[in-house]
Amino acid sequence: MTETVVLPGDHVPAQHVNLKLGPGLQQHSTSSTTKAEATVIVTRAGELHHSGNRSKWWVESNSRRYVPAAQESVIGVVIQRQGEGFRVDIGGAHSAYLDALAFEGATKRNKPNLKVGSLVYARVSLAHKDMEPELECFDAQSRKAEGFGELKGGFVVRCSLKMCRDLLDPQHFLLPLLGGRFPLEAATGVNGRVWVSAKEIKQTIALVRCIEAADPDDGGMDVVKLKRFLDTLEV
Amino acid sequence: MPPRRDGRRNEETRPLSLTFESLARVDGSARFSFGNTSALASVSGPIEVRLAAEHPSEATFEVAVRPLSNVPATESKAIASAIRATLEPSLILTKNPRSLVQLVVQALSPSAKHTWNTTLAAAMINACSLALLNASSVPMRGVVAAVAVCHSITGTILVDPSDDELVDVKSCGCFAFIFADQVGVDDSRSDCVWTSWKSSGGLDEAEILKAKEMAQRSAQTIYRALRKAVANACGLEVDESMTPEEGKSESEESEDKMII
Repeated sequence: MTETVVLPGDHVPAQHVNLKLGPGLQQHSTSSTTKAEATVIVTRAGELHHSGNRSKWWVESNSRRYVPAAQESVIGVVIQRQGEGFRVDIGGAHSAYLDALAFEGATKRNKPNLKVGSLVYARVSLAHKDMEPELECFDAQSRKAEGFGELKGGFVVRCSLKMCRDLLDPQHFLLPLLGGRFPLEAATGVNGRVWVSAKEIKQTIALVRCIEAADPDDGGMDVVKLKRFLDTLEV
Repeated sequence: MPPRRDGRRNEETRPLSLTFESLARVDGSARFSFGNTSALASVSGPIEVRLAAEHPSEATFEVAVRPLSNVPATESKAIASAIRATLEPSLILTKNPRSLVQLVVQALSPSAKHTWNTTLAAAMINACSLALLNASSVPMRGVVAAVAVCHSITGTILVDPSDDELVDVKSCGCFAFIFADQVGVDDSRSDCVWTSWKSSGGLDEAEILKAKEMAQRSAQTIYRALRKAVANACGLEVDESMTPEEGKSESEESEDKMII
């Protein structure tokens, strides 16, 4: 793995029979060159990464604004009940639509009753630039919840999108460190929201402050500093 | 070549300062200064758009300019529309239709009395580019860097004129260039997207071309500084980390020569 800093407009030497482009890259056919081959250009500033066999390329960067992409887990707030479903704010430019039948065990007669303001952990099932995003709270194949659904109690922390992705990494130190101190539940959405739940208010505050302190957007404490910080919180 | 009042070479900018601001309520923000001329820009987007401003096929791009003092008036509107026209070619707005990309620029130094300040406009454009890079939620096809150039009455072309150099100029203007691979003619990496060249008495084509060429070289330096700022924010070293230090050391050399 190589790490280089790229800016928008930079050319990427990505060539593979089975090329997969991740976020921040775009295939661009140049009309000026006589060769009809497409070139890959960078569309956002960050670190360029590629997989071992150079077939997958992506740009890693931090941002605060979520742009929905299919199959991503997000945390949303119900803002409106609409017909057979709910309108959910997921932090993007448009609110998402969550069908009332897209829950485990939901039928025409037995539908979940979510109030305005309740939290849901859902997967983006449809993300197209010209259509409003759609969510689902179950696996479409197995029709099981797989951990998705309404989040009751707890507290939602807002953080940068990089922090969310970091928290989803099992190698990341923060959640295991906090989990070692006291029992906790957490659900990480990649839209810059993390839901945490602990028994005591003191512990919830500690969770929130630690996530905020470890956010790369806000200083980004490392393990050693965070441990010291956690000791000052008396949990 | 006679040195300038502050000892700079003709093609040298004042010391650049680039900082990411991390303002809490926007998606990206940055501050850019040429010496004491500085501007602060913030970007939010793609966010929800008012129904009246919605475009079905692309994002709405709004620019608002706030002057250092007083409320935004005609002058601010003029700079805002210029900045909007300059930055639009660098954004891929069709990726997020029916949304809004909002850019707010705050001037941090007063604009000159006689005409709207070209160096301030350049600082604003660079601050905007840096804020857009910081937000990294709006897809872009290139990076815009701008620099002011003036033609003094003594006949020399000066890059990034300071306030006292702007008093006696024959013609003056800001040039903005977009940087991306193969954007210009003959596979060049940069292309001029906007200029505000103004002249008192007669436009001279050769003069404009010469000024543009000088501005292009200077904008390259600014582009490298932008790249370095992004690399530092990522915690990485950039390979071609040379420009600002190199410029400084050379200016020190020229100062030494002057003393000799």
